[in-house]
Amino acid sequence: MVRRATAKRLFLFAVLLVATLAAMHFTVPERTRSVSLEYRFRDTLAPVKFGLTWLSGQVRHLMSFPVSMVKAGARNQFLEQEVARLESQVVQLTEYKLESERLANLLNYKQVIPKDYDLLAASVVGRDPGNWFGTVCLNRGAVDGVKENMTVVTPEGLVGRVISVSSATCEVLLITDPRSGVGSLIQETRISGVVEGIAGSIGMARMIHIPNNAPLENGQAVITSGLGSIFPKDIPIGQITDIRREPSGLFNSADLRPYADLNRLEEVLIIITSNT
Amino acid sequence: MPFYALLLLYGVALVLQSTVLGFVTIFGIKPDLILLLAILNGFLLGPRQGAFLGFAGGVIVDLFAGSYIGMNAISKMVSGYLAGICGERLYQDNGLVLSGVTFSCSLAGLLVDYLLLHSLEVQVTILHAFFRVIIPTSLYNAVLVPFFYGRVLRSMKTRSREL
Repeated sequence: MVRRATAKRLFLFAVLLVATLAAMHFTVPERTRSVSLEYRFRDTLAPVKFGLTWLSGQVRHLMSFPVSMVKAGARNQFLEQEVARLESQVVQLTEYKLESERLANLLNYKQVIPKDYDLLAASVVGRDPGNWFGTVCLNRGAVDGVKENMTVVTPEGLVGRVISVSSATCEVLLITDPRSGVGSLIQETRISGVVEGIAGSIGMARMIHIPNNAPLENGQAVITSGLGSIFPKDIPIGQITDIRREPSGLFNSADLRPYADLNRLEEVLIIITSNT
Repeated sequence: MPFYALLLLYGVALVLQSTVLGFVTIFGIKPDLILLLAILNGFLLGPRQGAFLGFAGGVIVDLFAGSYIGMNAISKMVSGYLAGICGERLYQDNGLVLSGVTFSCSLAGLLVDYLLLHSLEVQVTILHAFFRVIIPTSLYNAVLVPFFYGRVLRSMKTRSREL
């Protein structure tokens, strides 16, 4: 009798386990994206999450303020020097830009550098609860004109792309998520590769499939290549911090520190339309 | 604690985890409060209760995330079950023992997560998985135990005395 009860319990456990594993395989993102329960959860909780995120941000600012004052003098001096240097660089770049436009006009060449994006500002209201994935929830949804695969940026650089949209919120896959892949190139040498996330929320990404004869240096800037039709061209992604050889020996890979601080995101911009 | 109250506690922990805890990350890692609750419950209530409550907590996380539904349920069920086995065999009144149990059970649960992700073709190298997610999260959870343990244990003992 006891053995029968145990067998029955084991059978029920096995059924539960199989059903759970099946559910897991059926709910892989981008295979099925219409989990309405998820959308309802997200929309209902959005105001609560927004309030808590805002409150946490204020507390963090309040607590970090005295610490930031400690080295304020030295930092101010450094920033003043940096502003002077950047101002001179802007003048130089403006000169290059004008020259480039004159030459382009001479050659009747269509400019491909993106100039006109329709941007929509959004606030981060929540993050993925675990440490494996890098996703954030924004307070903009279908009613604001947000659609899947729209690019999300900050003034510093690329953040990621929209992977699901409910009526009031949307979910963004960060470039540091291991499921993310961005067509990219090294700005200086124009060598292309793919930027993928390393693991969840550690704030680092990696550029892979760089030919091993390509010149690589720490500090080189990586930008979007525009290949792949999701991300517009020439959006800054990050800076190379470490270079290593891939196990196959044919390619190198490089660790990137994204320009956008993905662990401290508060406000972002969604590219609604791009003219590139 | 009634089951619905526990579900509410899981819900609150989940909202905190996806909002407030994003501001207390260390090297991008935040503690897993749901896993911590599953382990504490398992340790104090036994393997069967631990597995069940771990599974329930995991399902809530999965529904909240909306993808890979079942992944957290299975991994937290394993952690809760293991914590229950440890609770039956080890001295319960020592916070250090529970810190060790939390570290080990978190490690086991996150390892299950890694294996499930691998089966779903989410590529995370084993070194990154261990040194940037599994071990740091387990350590963070273990360090948080002394802050929760005293309160939870006191509350459970008071309730059992009242009953």
